[in-house]
Amino acid sequence: MPDKKIIVRVKRRQRPDEPVRWEEFELRYRPHMNVITCLRDIAERPITRDGRESSPVSYEANCLEEVCGACAMLINGQPRQACSALVDNLEQPIRLEPLSKFPLVRDLVVDRSKMFEDLKRTHCWIPIDGTYDLGEGPRMSPATQETGYPLARCISCGNCLEICPKVNEHTQFVGAAIVSQVRLFNMHPTGKLHAGERLDALMGPGGIQDCDNSQNCVKVCPKGIPLTESIAAVNGQVIRHALKTWFTGRD
Amino acid sequence: MASAVGVTRTSFFLDKLQSLSGIVPIGAYLAEHFFENSYALVSPGKYNYIASKLETVPWRLPIEFLLIWLPILFHGCYGIYIWWNGKANVIGHPWMANWLYVLQRWTGIIVFAFIGYHVWTVRFLSHGKTTYTDIAHYMANPWIVAIYAIGILAASFHLGNGVWNFACKWGFAVTPESQRAAGWFGALVAVVFAVIGLAIIAGFRFHWTPFDTYL
Amino acid sequence: MRQPKIIIVGGGLAGLMATIRVAELGVPVDLFSIVPVKRSHSVCAQGGINAAKNLKGEGDSPWIHFDDTVYGGDFLANQGLVKNMCEAAPAIIDLLDRMGVMFNRTPEGLLDFRRFGGTLHHRTAFAGATTGQQLLYALDEQVRRHESIDRVNKFEGWTFLSAVLDDAGIARGICAMNLRTMDVRTFPADAVIFCTGGIGAIFGRSTNSVVCTGSAQSALFQQGAWYANGEFIQVHPTAIPGEDKCRLMSESARGEGGRVWVPKQPGDTRHAKDIPQNERFYFLEEWYPKYGNLVPRDVATRAIHKVVFELKMGLPGGPAVYLDVSHIPREVLNRKLEGILEIYEKFVGPDPREEPMKVFPAMHYTMGGLWVDNEQQATSIPGVFAAGECEYQYHGANRLGANSLVSCIYGGMIAGPSAVRYARNLEKGCESTSAEVFERERARQQDITDGLLHQQGTENPITIWRELGEVMTENCTVIRYNANIKKTVGKLAELSERYKKINLQDRTQWSNQTLNFTRELGNMLVLAQVIALGALERNETRGAHYKPEFPERDDANWLKTTLARYNLGKICLEYQPVDTSLIPPRERKYTAAS
Repeated sequence: MPDKKIIVRVKRRQRPDEPVRWEEFELRYRPHMNVITCLRDIAERPITRDGRESSPVSYEANCLEEVCGACAMLINGQPRQACSALVDNLEQPIRLEPLSKFPLVRDLVVDRSKMFEDLKRTHCWIPIDGTYDLGEGPRMSPATQETGYPLARCISCGNCLEICPKVNEHTQFVGAAIVSQVRLFNMHPTGKLHAGERLDALMGPGGIQDCDNSQNCVKVCPKGIPLTESIAAVNGQVIRHALKTWFTGRD
Repeated sequence: MASAVGVTRTSFFLDKLQSLSGIVPIGAYLAEHFFENSYALVSPGKYNYIASKLETVPWRLPIEFLLIWLPILFHGCYGIYIWWNGKANVIGHPWMANWLYVLQRWTGIIVFAFIGYHVWTVRFLSHGKTTYTDIAHYMANPWIVAIYAIGILAASFHLGNGVWNFACKWGFAVTPESQRAAGWFGALVAVVFAVIGLAIIAGFRFHWTPFDTYL
Repeated sequence: MRQPKIIIVGGGLAGLMATIRVAELGVPVDLFSIVPVKRSHSVCAQGGINAAKNLKGEGDSPWIHFDDTVYGGDFLANQGLVKNMCEAAPAIIDLLDRMGVMFNRTPEGLLDFRRFGGTLHHRTAFAGATTGQQLLYALDEQVRRHESIDRVNKFEGWTFLSAVLDDAGIARGICAMNLRTMDVRTFPADAVIFCTGGIGAIFGRSTNSVVCTGSAQSALFQQGAWYANGEFIQVHPTAIPGEDKCRLMSESARGEGGRVWVPKQPGDTRHAKDIPQNERFYFLEEWYPKYGNLVPRDVATRAIHKVVFELKMGLPGGPAVYLDVSHIPREVLNRKLEGILEIYEKFVGPDPREEPMKVFPAMHYTMGGLWVDNEQQATSIPGVFAAGECEYQYHGANRLGANSLVSCIYGGMIAGPSAVRYARNLEKGCESTSAEVFERERARQQDITDGLLHQQGTENPITIWRELGEVMTENCTVIRYNANIKKTVGKLAELSERYKKINLQDRTQWSNQTLNFTRELGNMLVLAQVIALGALERNETRGAHYKPEFPERDDANWLKTTLARYNLGKICLEYQPVDTSLIPPRERKYTAAS
């Protein structure tokens, strides 16, 4: 196919407080292109379709194999990873926008530190005594591993937050990813010992109660994590925990 | 970042209460309400007998206030607050559950308005006493039939979908299979309520008493 | 007692492990990373982590692990440290297990182990086919826990520019640039640990992540740190060639029984499934009966090159061979390899559970790196430590699969405490260094940045980078000819000249990624020369370094470590003897058991 073209429309803002401008670029098609290759092509020749000199588009990307979570953006309106968005499967013009639920930095770059703060807030870790040699870890059934492992593949891309109607400037909702992580740590033999701490955190402002079951999260998760299952499971944990602590003072 | 422990649970409590109140007492009351009104499908006399029995229960006002009006008022007002806290995005993402999310909000506001109208007309304007003839008289007006039909359909959907939401939000249905089953159960609830509700309207409108054979 | 101040640059496995160890000693850490640490390149490691826990009744032991590693590395690794690492590995697995890594389990609830290249034992613990991700997350979570009690202060979105060296040449801190505000600032520290990972970007399309440019190592090298064994570059035999990168298809695919083959009839255009068994050429199994598909990577890569380029038996439609797991039960594949099969499906299309994957070798790992001493992970600059892929210590001339995760974590475990020890023993801490030392370095770095911002010209950094990648991949990876390497050195000089004429096309001072990339590119060009010059000098074949003109290993002349030094803009090579005190070098061949 000689000289097949791709049209890419990018929503740009040089700084968060600047007005939006849309720029359109025309690129040379090559087989197996993805959105990242498009953005690199633009960086190599940042000239818009109408011949105006522009600048390379800022975007986040790292592993390029959908395992680091960096390159989430809105591609034709859908939150997804740019690396696994193959040009062959995309309707043209390809529309690129930054995620809208996180503070904008520049062009397609947003600040997703909220997710990491929320992981901290919800104590998403196994509290080990130390890294010195304390022997083997706890035994775990293959069944527990097979439930836990898919949850442990969350790449903190933020797509589930982007698509959630309840994540917005009115709420502090932590989002499906964090709830699912709480489920993961509450399932681990050692993590279990501190399940109450995590559940307490998930009962605070922005906690699990903000979920209104639109079940969008599970549709956009690039890793196919059973997020709605996690939310329901943690809902059960939270209610049992609330009743137990309220009635008996301990979990 | 402040420690998570000891944070306020107010919004958790209110959210869960809102969710629960939709099932008990509101959903339960709706079932009772539809059942009692189904006596209209037996005969006007039976209906009037049951109505007057209900109108003369002891402690009527506090019972009505605590078990019906207050829960509905809370469920509705807090529901609107929850609605305001969400940003629907079904345009562009027209998935089934996302539609249900949006419809739950729209039906909620419709039902809330309808209940206001319903209670005002048949509870307050009638001074707490209504007879078969009164209702049949209302139902002679096609506009009122339309309003009631919309109200009943919206309420049935809202309750049926609410049952599904409740199953997920209280952790009763965790796996995709059980959530799907809960969804079908919710759909069944919605259909049953819609059929009964519409039948009751039809009964009043057309003086239709299919169950008079029991007499 | 005065509290030492430690900076760690890089938040992959090694950096996070070092951070945890320092924080555990009660010493606060400033952790610098270009990306949020959870997005570091360690997430890309797939197959597993080696430790001779001998849970399969095969009589495996740390010594055998040690022997496999040294033999696999063609005897270029200093043996003492490798032995220590192999001895520490079982406890490292236990530690990771305690941290909650979702390792695959046996029915008894114990860790499951799989086979990997270069060994005959089941020695590799794994979490599906995303082991690196799972390990990184476990360490990330531990670091977050230390962060929540203020023992760790993260500087994510900062890039390292240079070390701050006092007049005695001792490191007193770092100079870094904020990638959002583009501020150039210095940060004092008593000791700095570098865990800045790989250098894949120098080869354009590699299996590495975007941040793996080697920029930090190169900057340190240009400030006087020695760089060792730069010429040893691992090319992974099985990757999916791509426009933007080559995506790894883990060795674990073969560890679980995957087979590499091509049709016996060159140019056979039948669908793979339609080619009967007896018309398939399982060349690794035929050539290396003992190890079969699990020969070390350098061997497998050269075999694929031979099949494709010498025997002209590659698959039609591009240089590739089949990596076939379609004979393995679907349930096993989903439980043990889903992560990588998903990558193939998403980026190529066909379901590898149904039909063989098309793969080809791609640059994957650098065995070489910053020179560090034997026991402390200390570089040649006082106060600067290094761990992980950015240092050279554990893998000799070729790394065995699933040894990188263990070396990263082991290196981090040593580097953390040894940096603290060094800092505590310092006569004068960094606070005694005059402000002028810091300001001098800051101004120097600011000048470089300003120079680039104001530079006029017609060159584009991406274009130069693409040309760099092409020439390096062509001449400095699998097969190396001296004439071609000389040409490469010339090309690098040309690119360095053109680099001076780069026009940034983005002169803003806010999240200017072009500026940052161009700074990194400058450092890549220097490190590329180290690799090329090292390869040019080493006239032998050892591990991943293969010269058809010198096809044998030459212990008499070349059993030595290459040491590159930077002196007034010139790269000089020196050599150091290798410690072979524990296992005497023997011939390396995988046709039969070692």
